[in-house]
Amino acid sequence: MKATFHGGVHPAHSSKRPTQSLAIRDFVSDTVQIVMNMNIGAPSAPCVQKGDHVKLGQVIGEPVGFLGIPVHASVSGEVVSVEPLPYLSEAPAMCVTIRNDFKDEWVELHPLGNVETVDPALIIPAIKNAGICGMGGASFPTHVKLSIKPEQKCDYILANGAECETHLTADHRLMLENSTRIVDGLRAVMRAVGCPQGVIGIEDNKPDAIEAMEKACQGREGVRVQVLKTKYPQGGEKQLIEAITGRQVPTGGLPIGCGCIVVNVGTCAAIADALIDGKPLVERITTVTGAVRNPANLRLRIGTNVDDIIGECGGYSVEPGKIFFGGAMTGLCLPHANLPIAKSTNGIVVMTREQAKTDEEDPCIRCGKCGEVCPIGLKPLKIKLAADADNIEAAKKLHVMDCTLCGSCSFICPARRHLTAAFKVAKQKIAAQAKKGGSGK
Amino acid sequence: MSLILSSAPHIKTKDTTQRLMLNVIISLLPCVAAGVYYFGLQAAIVLAVAVVSAVAAELVWQVLAHQKVRVYDLSAAVTGLLIGLIVPPAAPWWMVAIGSVFAIIVVKQLFGGIGDNFLNPALTARAVLLASWPAYMTAGYNVGRFDAVTGATPLLSGTASTMDLLMGNVTGAIGETCKIAILLGLVYLLVTRTIRWEIPVFTVASAVVLGAILGMDPVSVVLSGGLLFGAVYMATDYVTSPMTRGGQIIYAIGIGALIVLIRKFGDYPEGVTYAILLMNICAPLLDRMIPEKVYGYKKAKKEAKA
Amino acid sequence: MSEKKKSLGRVFTNGVLSENPTFRLVLGTCPTLAVTTSAINGLGMGLAATFVLLGSNIVVSALRKVIPDKVRIPSFIVIICTFVTIVQLLMHAYLPSLYESLGIFIPLIVVNCIILARAEAFASKNGVVASAVDGLGMGAGFTLALTLIGCIRELLGNGSIFGVSLLGTAYKPMLLTILPAGGFLVYGLLLGIINAIGNKRKGAAK
Repeated sequence: MKATFHGGVHPAHSSKRPTQSLAIRDFVSDTVQIVMNMNIGAPSAPCVQKGDHVKLGQVIGEPVGFLGIPVHASVSGEVVSVEPLPYLSEAPAMCVTIRNDFKDEWVELHPLGNVETVDPALIIPAIKNAGICGMGGASFPTHVKLSIKPEQKCDYILANGAECETHLTADHRLMLENSTRIVDGLRAVMRAVGCPQGVIGIEDNKPDAIEAMEKACQGREGVRVQVLKTKYPQGGEKQLIEAITGRQVPTGGLPIGCGCIVVNVGTCAAIADALIDGKPLVERITTVTGAVRNPANLRLRIGTNVDDIIGECGGYSVEPGKIFFGGAMTGLCLPHANLPIAKSTNGIVVMTREQAKTDEEDPCIRCGKCGEVCPIGLKPLKIKLAADADNIEAAKKLHVMDCTLCGSCSFICPARRHLTAAFKVAKQKIAAQAKKGGSGK
Repeated sequence: MSLILSSAPHIKTKDTTQRLMLNVIISLLPCVAAGVYYFGLQAAIVLAVAVVSAVAAELVWQVLAHQKVRVYDLSAAVTGLLIGLIVPPAAPWWMVAIGSVFAIIVVKQLFGGIGDNFLNPALTARAVLLASWPAYMTAGYNVGRFDAVTGATPLLSGTASTMDLLMGNVTGAIGETCKIAILLGLVYLLVTRTIRWEIPVFTVASAVVLGAILGMDPVSVVLSGGLLFGAVYMATDYVTSPMTRGGQIIYAIGIGALIVLIRKFGDYPEGVTYAILLMNICAPLLDRMIPEKVYGYKKAKKEAKA
Repeated sequence: MSEKKKSLGRVFTNGVLSENPTFRLVLGTCPTLAVTTSAINGLGMGLAATFVLLGSNIVVSALRKVIPDKVRIPSFIVIICTFVTIVQLLMHAYLPSLYESLGIFIPLIVVNCIILARAEAFASKNGVVASAVDGLGMGAGFTLALTLIGCIRELLGNGSIFGVSLLGTAYKPMLLTILPAGGFLVYGLLLGIINAIGNKRKGAAK
């Protein structure tokens, strides 16, 4: 039985073809620029200085605040600069730039050994110390996600291998090439939170990954693979939970509110690496595709420059019109290519000028397709009218805050209305308002 | 190198408003062909006048009102073509033109243009023509292959064979007679996902069921008159039908029931136009009536009850 | 006496143009829609209403200091009824065919909200002369509007104006316009056009 959710769209899955059969290969550049605010929460505080020699895996940023996680050097070499540099956010972000000496000298590692025998109480601190945050795109610190309150009960750990986004095949390749580590990581998480069931959700367009993961699950306690229908946004946290468990995350709440925790398969592998080898998160798999000569799945050090990555992939095949991190449905646009990748960068997609053309909005023809595809069951056309009139209260009543910005409505809209973009702005306005109201009290 | 910055998503479906309208036009081609085959050149002229005057009216309005010219979205062409297909083949050209202009200017543009009209423009035009020039709208069927035939449309006389009704070998409005052509169009619309199956199916089913209860022959309920054409092309108009699936089903059942009630008890022999227009008015209310199911609220409601 | 000392000329044009009861205030729409199937019906109804307005405005204004506030509405209605009865009897006697075609809408002038509105809003607060002019102005505005709608509907629906055939026999009358639905359509379109002109003027004035 293939599980799925209500609504959803079928964006071009052929966009995955260029990279899905390409094995992961390594690429290491001569400098890395490591951003201090890669995760949700306060930026980490740099603890090295210009001129310092750092080892691979050495802590270069100390965690700050409740959501803080450490940042590690992803190469060994000399710190060239510690300064704020322009990044995706509006304000410049504090960055540590390291010149690679290509020696890959590791700091002293403290492996915990077998995930089945390690003391469960040690797992979550180890995940925090390894600097692990959600690698599927959200960058939420994993140790916080796993630190559930005593009164909360977790029935399911869901390993998210849906990879429903267009273009991306990084998780697909990882599941093929590193399936045991994913299961190890999943088991570690299950043991850490005392959860009996682990389910790996994979879309049915990846039969080889399903087979590999099923094989890896054999003989492991409480883990299984759930085949999912290929449909976007199958890998959205809320949709994955609905598809596999039939439960729904309560509005405004976290998945643990319905007894579930969702962890990306890439994050699972990173957790396994942190426990078994004691290695912190210093590299990740990223799909590089689109208008580049040689699309690839690369194992990249955190902080590798996008320009260098595109150079490694043979450069642009035509003049680029748009570059974004992630898939085409939710990807974040880059202003230029001279930027580093972060822990959550699962893909770099280059679009041609032709593909990047933005459509002008036409009048809504009330076809209702947006409502049909909305996985949350919203009425995007109505929210859009409210948002266009700057009627935030009406948008709120229409549940705009429940919108996950998956982009399905904008994708399907025949009038090319900028629905998702308008909801993003409305959500930000409402959040800003709430903040203001909160501090006023 | 300057890169475009835009909000996600970065890809869109191929279907545009224009493409959907083109789908409707393509799906109407069998009806057009059947109409011209049975009713001859006169029908072709009526269709041409209807389309040209609708598109011209939209163009002139948009230019005069300093609006963005959007005739290329083909919605006016669809409206025009639909009007041509629901008038008698011998309808005078000026009447058809007035119908098209009325549909575009009064029904569509005065209420805000595409997407904002609350009534189906083509059907409203037909209602206006029927009220204004009843003589031209209820006669003028006996042209083309029916030159020598005299008598009323089969809905009135009830004499045609089922095969003739299916093939359209009967008198009637240009596009409404050949049911095979309409079904071909329906299949195309469904395959291209231009429309969904609920509205046509529930409209026909509701008419058949209520008709059977009232002792009407189901075959003649479905195959005579404009029921099938209305169910496939008129009731499914995006703008004037409900958006929610539940709303669409109630709307379609309402249309089918009203058609049968008007045919059985009303003064008019045919009730498709009024049935659909009446349900058009209800569409926004039906959408409001259907409770929305928003993700993540199920549990909250249960807790509130407890 | 009046709150703002308007010239009598302005009081009159106020009723005809800027506060035209039909097109600006949208009052008295029931007779507007029902009787305007021909120009003569529109004119007849307009004149009958004008007579009642004039009479009731004068009497209400003259008695405005005598009528106790609590019973002013019943009093106004009684005054209006008196004039309506006079009109009805006069029309029955001297214009029987118009009386026939206007039918029930003659007695219904009693509840025409223009008349009560003017009694309440103007006549009960202003002097006799000003009230008379207001009644005349409002009546003229109402009559003009009804005649205009009547002309359009008669021309389109019958090819004639005041019974004079203008469009010839080649014209195929658009029956819809003299049906009730056509009344709504013509009235709505005229309202739209007049609002559009008004908005444009406002825009130009700015």
